[in-house]
Amino acid sequence: METFNNSKPILLFLLLPCLLLYSLIAFNSSSVEAAMHTNNWAVLVCTSRFWFNYRHMANTLSLYRTVKRLGIPDERIILMLADDMACNTRNKYPAQVFNNENHRLNLYGDNVEVDYRGYEVTVENFLRVLTGRHETAVPRSKRLLSDEGSHILLYMTGHGGDEFLKFQDSEELQSHDLADAVKQMKEKHRFKELLIMVDTCQAATLFNQLQSPGVLAIGSSMKGENSYSHHLDSDVGVSVVDRFTYYTLAFFERLNIYDNASLSSSFSSYNPSLLMSTAYYRKDLYKRNLEEVPVTNFFGSVMETIHTDAAYKALSRINSGRFEAQTSLDQSVHHIEKRMPMKVNDQEETHNIIPEGEEGASKCPWSTFWNKFRKGENVDTLVNYGLVAMIPLLVISTWLVQ
Amino acid sequence: MAEISEANDSDSSELQDNGSEAPQRPESEPDFDPKLMRKTKPGLKRLVLTFSVLFSFLLGFPFLWKSVEIYRSPLPFREIDSLSTQLRSDNLLFPLHFHALFVGFDHDPDHLRRSILLEITKLTSQNPKCSNSYTLSVNVDLGSHCLHSPVSSPHSSSYPCGSVTATDFVQNDDVAVDERLVSVFGGKTKEYIVAVVKGGSERAVVGKHRHAWMVVGGGRKVEVAAVKVAELLVKLFINGGREEGSIRNEFMPVGADGKIVLSFNLLNADPLDWVYDWDFEKIDDTLLAPMIEALGPVANISVESQVLYHTPKASFSFWNQKLESYVFSTKDLPFFVNSNEWHLDTSIAAGGRSNILQFAVYVPSAKECPLLLQLPNGEISKTNGFISPMWGGVIVWNPQGCLNDSEFEPSAKNIIPIQDLENMFEVFIGQFRQLFGFKSVNVYAGASGDWNLLPSERGFTEWELDVLSRQHTCFNLHSCATTLVSLSRLVQSLPRMIIMDDIGKQVKFSLEAAKLALSNASSGAYESSAAASSQARSLAEDAFFHPSIMSVSYYSFEHCFAVYSPFFLPVSMHVVLAALRELRRYKQEKAKYLVWKAKANTSS
Repeated sequence: METFNNSKPILLFLLLPCLLLYSLIAFNSSSVEAAMHTNNWAVLVCTSRFWFNYRHMANTLSLYRTVKRLGIPDERIILMLADDMACNTRNKYPAQVFNNENHRLNLYGDNVEVDYRGYEVTVENFLRVLTGRHETAVPRSKRLLSDEGSHILLYMTGHGGDEFLKFQDSEELQSHDLADAVKQMKEKHRFKELLIMVDTCQAATLFNQLQSPGVLAIGSSMKGENSYSHHLDSDVGVSVVDRFTYYTLAFFERLNIYDNASLSSSFSSYNPSLLMSTAYYRKDLYKRNLEEVPVTNFFGSVMETIHTDAAYKALSRINSGRFEAQTSLDQSVHHIEKRMPMKVNDQEETHNIIPEGEEGASKCPWSTFWNKFRKGENVDTLVNYGLVAMIPLLVISTWLVQ
Repeated sequence: MAEISEANDSDSSELQDNGSEAPQRPESEPDFDPKLMRKTKPGLKRLVLTFSVLFSFLLGFPFLWKSVEIYRSPLPFREIDSLSTQLRSDNLLFPLHFHALFVGFDHDPDHLRRSILLEITKLTSQNPKCSNSYTLSVNVDLGSHCLHSPVSSPHSSSYPCGSVTATDFVQNDDVAVDERLVSVFGGKTKEYIVAVVKGGSERAVVGKHRHAWMVVGGGRKVEVAAVKVAELLVKLFINGGREEGSIRNEFMPVGADGKIVLSFNLLNADPLDWVYDWDFEKIDDTLLAPMIEALGPVANISVESQVLYHTPKASFSFWNQKLESYVFSTKDLPFFVNSNEWHLDTSIAAGGRSNILQFAVYVPSAKECPLLLQLPNGEISKTNGFISPMWGGVIVWNPQGCLNDSEFEPSAKNIIPIQDLENMFEVFIGQFRQLFGFKSVNVYAGASGDWNLLPSERGFTEWELDVLSRQHTCFNLHSCATTLVSLSRLVQSLPRMIIMDDIGKQVKFSLEAAKLALSNASSGAYESSAAASSQARSLAEDAFFHPSIMSVSYYSFEHCFAVYSPFFLPVSMHVVLAALRELRRYKQEKAKYLVWKAKANTSS
C-alpha cells in the first residue's frame, strides 16, 4: 500500500499535461460557425424481431409514414426494420401492417423503402450509419449523407433497459456507444441539430451519456419505469402500437407541411397518466428555445429556396441554331498556368514520429483512471481495477503463509 | 517447519552421490544439530528445475505479448498538429497584384495610389480564416509620358507607355475593348488591371479576364473614381461579388471526395397531356463541357440526365385572370419539390462521398398550364426558376401547347425546341453560379455605382475562377486540417484499435498535398493550389471514414486481461512462488552447511 501512496504525486504530475491538452482541444473545437439549415434526415430503427414484437414494427412504420407525409423524401430516410411483419406467415392480413385496431391505415401500403432489413439491423451497422464509415461498396441509399446544415431525427424503438437497447435479441447498444457515435458525428459536422426519440422501457437512460451540443432527446420513460403498449388488436392477435408512439402520432396526424406547431407543444402533449410512464426530455445540450422551433424542422422537409433572378446570358452573342462548338474562342486566350510545384523538403520529418504516438497513448490511461477514480463515476471500471489490485495482495498473502 | 525438516531428510537421503557420510547420527561428532547444520553441500537439482520452469515462462512471455499485440500503423501526429497550428495561426495568405491605370488624368500617381489604398483598407473586412495580401501599382498615362508609382515596382514600370488611349473605349462593344486590353497587357500575368479613362459617356465594365475599365465623364473628381476602383478591387476581384468575404458552408457544393454529379431531370407532370423529350447530348457538348472544364481545379464534375413521368408538384397554384395563367408565389417554393413522386435519386455514377446537384425542368400538366412564378413585389419572374443551396435548382418550362392552343398538335413525343433549351440552360448556368455563391445577374450594384459584368462562354470569368480557387483552397485546407486532427484524437483515444497501412498512407499523402497547396497558394498559383487542396481534403476524408475504425469491434484492455488472466495468473503465481521457495530453501541449506563447515574447521 505504501507504493500506491508514493505514486500519487507522480500520477498528479502525469495528469497535469494531459488535462491541459484536453482543455486546449476542447477550447479549439468549440469555435464553429453556424451553418444554414439545408435539409432534414430521418433514421428510423426498429430493433426487435419475432411476431409478438409487431408493435415495434408498427411504431417505426407509423413514424416513417408521418415523416414522408410531411415531406422528407425516401432518399433522406434510413429505415431499419429488424424483422418482416407484413409478410410474416402469422399475419392474418398479408402485406398489411396496422397501428390501430380500426385498421384504418395500412402502413405498409405502397412506396415503403426499407434500407436495412432483417439481420442487417445490427449494432455495428447502426453505428456505421451514424458515423458514416461504410465499406466502399455500400450504396448511397444505405448511407446517411448529411452535412453540417442537416437536422436529423433519430427514432429508436424496441426493448431496452438501463443504459442499453436490445438489438435482435442477441446484442445490445449501450448508451456510451451511442454517445460516442454522436460525438464523432458532431466532430465531423454531420448534423446541425439532432432529435433523438426513444420508445423503450427506461428509455431516458439511453441518452444519459450524451454530451455533444445541438442534441435534443426525448424518451418514453424514465429509469425504473416501463413503457407500455397501447392496445391489443384481437384480430391480428398482438398489440399493435406503443403508447408513446400512439400519442406522438395523435399529435402529428393533425398537422400538414404548412403547419408550424412548436416542439414544446409536441413535448407537452404527453400525459403521464395516459402514457403510464413519464416522458422525459433532455434539452440542456440544445441551445434554442423549444417554443420557437417548429416540428417541421425535424419531422418535415422545408427547403430553403432562393429565386434565380436572371439567366446567365453567355450565349446571346452566339447565333441560335449554330451548334458547332466555338469552344476554341476562349481557349486561345486562356492560359492555364501550370507551374512546376515546388517540392517541400521536409519529408525526413515524417520518419521520425513513430514512437510519439505510442507514448502519448500510454500516459493517458493513467490520467483517465485517475479522473474516474476521483469522480467516483464509473463503478464498473473501479471494480475492474480493484480486481487487478487484488492480485499482488494474493501473491503476498500466499508468500506469507509459507 | 515440518516440511522443511522433511525435505531436509529426503534431501539428505537423495544426495548420496558423494555418499561418504552416513545419515546416522554421528555421536562421534559433538554439537551436530541436524536442524541447524548439514554435512553435505545442498544440491542444485531442485533449484535448477524450478528456475528452468520460471525461465521458460519468462522466455515465452515476449512471444505471448507479441501475439496479442495489435498492429498500429504509425501516424504522423506531430505533423498533423503542426499543420493545424500553421493554418490557424498565420492566416493563409494569397498574394494579389492590382494595377490601376489612369488615362487622360493629370494627377500625381502617388496620391492616387494612397487614396485607393486607403479606400481598400476601409472596405476590407477581417476574415479570420483566409486573408489576402495585395500590392497596388498605379500608372498615369498622359499620352506623351507616363508616371508610375511605386517607382520601384516591376509591374508598374513594365507597362508600355501610350498603348492605351481614350479612343479605345469609345465604341460600345465591350467584348472588343476587353480583347484590346488583353492584347495590351498580355493574358499571361495574374495581375488585376483597372483602367480609368476620361471620356464621354459613363460606363463601368468588368471583362471576362482580369481586366476592368471605367469611363469617367469630364468634370468628375478623380477621387470618386478612386473610391469606385477600390470597391471594385475589394468587392469583386477579392470577394467575387458576395456580401462578406467569409465562406458560407451552404455555398460549397463540392463533395468530400472533390466530385460533383450534376443530375439533369426533365419532369413530365402528366404524360397523358403531353410528353416532352430533349436533346441533351448536344447541349452537354456545347454548353456544359466548357464550364466543366473551367471548373476542373475546383471540382471533378460529371453529368447525368434522365426523363421522368408522372411527377406532379407538391404545392398549389392559383389562376390569375389578369395574367391568364396559373401563378405560384415564392412562399410556395419551399414546398414545390414533391419528394414522394420525384424520384431523382437514381444516380449510379455517384460515389459515397460525392455531392449530387439536381437540376429539374418541370413541365406542368394541362390543368396548370401556363405556370408562372410571382415574386413578392408582384412581378413575374423572368426565369421561372429557383435554387435550394446544396440541393440544386428547378425551372418551370411552359410547353407550346398551352401557350397557343391552336398551333399545337399533340404527338407521341415532342422535343423541346432548341432555342428554349438554350434559354433553359442559360438559366441553369445562372443557377449553378448561385449554388457557388455568385449572382446570376450580369450587373454588380455597388455602393458607389454599378459595374457591368461581362459573361463568359464558360459560365465563369477568369477572375471569378480565381475567387473560387482561393475560397476552395481555404475551405479545403481547413477542412483537411480539422479532419486530420479529429482522426489523430480518435486514434489516440482507442489504444487497442488496429490502424491499417491504408490509413497511414492516406494521412501521409494528404499532408503532402496540403503542404503543396500551401506553397502554391503563397506563390499565387491559385488553380494548382485548389487542385492540391481538394486532393488533400479527399484523402483526409478517406482516412477518417475508413471502415475499420469502429470502436465496437475492438476489445478493451480489460477484456484482454479477463481472457488471459484465469490461466496465466494462477500458474505464474505458483511457478514464481515455487522458484522463490526453492531459492530460500537453498539459501537456508547453504547456510547450514557453512555453519557445519565452520564448526568442523574450528573443531579440527
